[in-house]
Amino acid sequence: MTRLTIPTLLTLTLLTTAAAQDVQTVRLGFFPNLTHAPALVGLERGTFQKALGKVKLDAREFVSGTTLTEAFAAGQIDIAYVGPGPAINAAGRGMPVQFLAGASEAGAVLVVRKDSGIRSYRELAGKTVAVPSLGNTQDISLRHLLNENGLKSRTDGGNVTITPIAPADVLAAFAARRVDATLVPEPWGAALEAQGHRVIGSEKTVWRDGKYPTTLVIVNAKFAQANPQLVTAFLKAHTDTVAFINRSPAAAQTAVNAQLLKLTGTKLDPRVLQRAFARTRFTTSLDLAALTEYARLNVEAGYARSAPDLTPFLRR
Amino acid sequence: MTIAKHSTDLSPAGQPSRWRVLSWQVAGLLLILGLWWLVTDVLKLYPPYVFPGPKAVWTEVSYGLWGTGPQDGKLLGAIGGSLRRVLTGYLLAVLLGGVVGLLMGAWLPLRATLGAYLTGIQSVPSIAFVPFAILFFGLNERAVLFVVILEGFIPVALAVSGALLNVPPALRVAGRTLGARGLGLTLRVLLPASVPNVLTGLRTAWSFAWRALVGGELLIAGVKSLGEQLEIGRNTANVALVLATIIIIGVIGGLFDTLLRAAETRVRRNYGLEVPQ
Repeated sequence: MTRLTIPTLLTLTLLTTAAAQDVQTVRLGFFPNLTHAPALVGLERGTFQKALGKVKLDAREFVSGTTLTEAFAAGQIDIAYVGPGPAINAAGRGMPVQFLAGASEAGAVLVVRKDSGIRSYRELAGKTVAVPSLGNTQDISLRHLLNENGLKSRTDGGNVTITPIAPADVLAAFAARRVDATLVPEPWGAALEAQGHRVIGSEKTVWRDGKYPTTLVIVNAKFAQANPQLVTAFLKAHTDTVAFINRSPAAAQTAVNAQLLKLTGTKLDPRVLQRAFARTRFTTSLDLAALTEYARLNVEAGYARSAPDLTPFLRR
Repeated sequence: MTIAKHSTDLSPAGQPSRWRVLSWQVAGLLLILGLWWLVTDVLKLYPPYVFPGPKAVWTEVSYGLWGTGPQDGKLLGAIGGSLRRVLTGYLLAVLLGGVVGLLMGAWLPLRATLGAYLTGIQSVPSIAFVPFAILFFGLNERAVLFVVILEGFIPVALAVSGALLNVPPALRVAGRTLGARGLGLTLRVLLPASVPNVLTGLRTAWSFAWRALVGGELLIAGVKSLGEQLEIGRNTANVALVLATIIIIGVIGGLFDTLLRAAETRVRRNYGLEVPQ
């Protein structure tokens, strides 16, 4: 197998390094989720582009932290909105990553299918639970939640099947009765609820009374070193956007919906969006204690052998 | 389907000894490992999160196979799950393929229709059937088994029907002369005569089934499997785990292929189709 792998990887890396480092553009990665609202609002209002001036903003949408981390590792993304799970994994594997700022906290809920009969965490035994992707932020939270309730995933010898499904596809999976529950970031929780499915784990009961980071802003450390002004400008635009979201939630919701329509072709019911907003907190601060505990949960979930010291990855 | 008399297998001279081949294979492997180590760990041409060295990959293999920590031994569990799944699927595929192949060999209308379609289906990559399998069976093992069986039974069916039709006419005539008719002729003359070609089909079916399995497992996580290990490695930026899993998949696939090839060679020799070197 090594015979095949080496040339393939060599070619891939050569291609990607050739494409890297272009100071004419800032390449931004994000997801079309409400927990990434600062990205969506900043894009919709043109805040980022304004702050970057002549440097062009190249915003790229991703569906999961996995593909985003891969793009980041390949040097195709400079700045990204991403969950703590992928961010900690990237740091732990020695990728050149800096944690720039917080973006959102909480905003993830545990929803059960209306005809699943599940009323408590313990009743997840023997059921199938969807997460956005294996090893992502919600997956790590779910495994911890199961652990606290004496349950385990099937692959760890328990009886809860954890299956990765992109949040946008969870509605269809519920309708087809393919899964019984899901731990999803907003607005997908509120969207499921609008279809009659039940939230049994609110953003506060999932972990740490809701005081946990859901989305961070990370930057490629090499890019940050080479372009400190651009990073500062972007950080200011991010801070302004978060302030705007907290100051004018209604206008922010309109902006989110307008951007979602552009990205996904569908709009959310304003009431759904409002409910999802109420469960998410937008902030620029980074809770190092919460992140460190997260790194520990990553080990508990079996995704890493040791928790990295995250202090060196914080931007000073 | 050429008879060995016309092939080069009979050439008695110039065949390298088994040990010589083996020593070259070991040397080649060491060379590859050395190059890999040179490029990654010594010259550090690539960051480890893009292309880890053999040492990092070995660490994943050793933790995954015989590590004793709470999170270790996962690759071993994955191998167990995948092997159980592929063997179940493969056996069912061989049974199904055998029956379908027999029927196709015996009956022209079936051969003309199903036989042609099967060749078409065989050209579709197994991964293309996974979304349908998920819709039909759900996100579970049965969906994986479906894909494995579908991929595995086609080469068997085609090999069986093809082998039946390609039995040398002399054997058929001889069988008839000795009084065998219909099913008796098929079971007592044609089928035994087809064994070498059927075995080739079984070997092809194995590699198809193994590939289909890993493809299916990649998309249907939630069960202990090598596909899930690949997915987890990818999702947690653990390229060493991805490479370790790829190597294990290759080694297992190669081991089974070698076993089946040995069985095939032995049978071909017994049938006088190949001469030992």
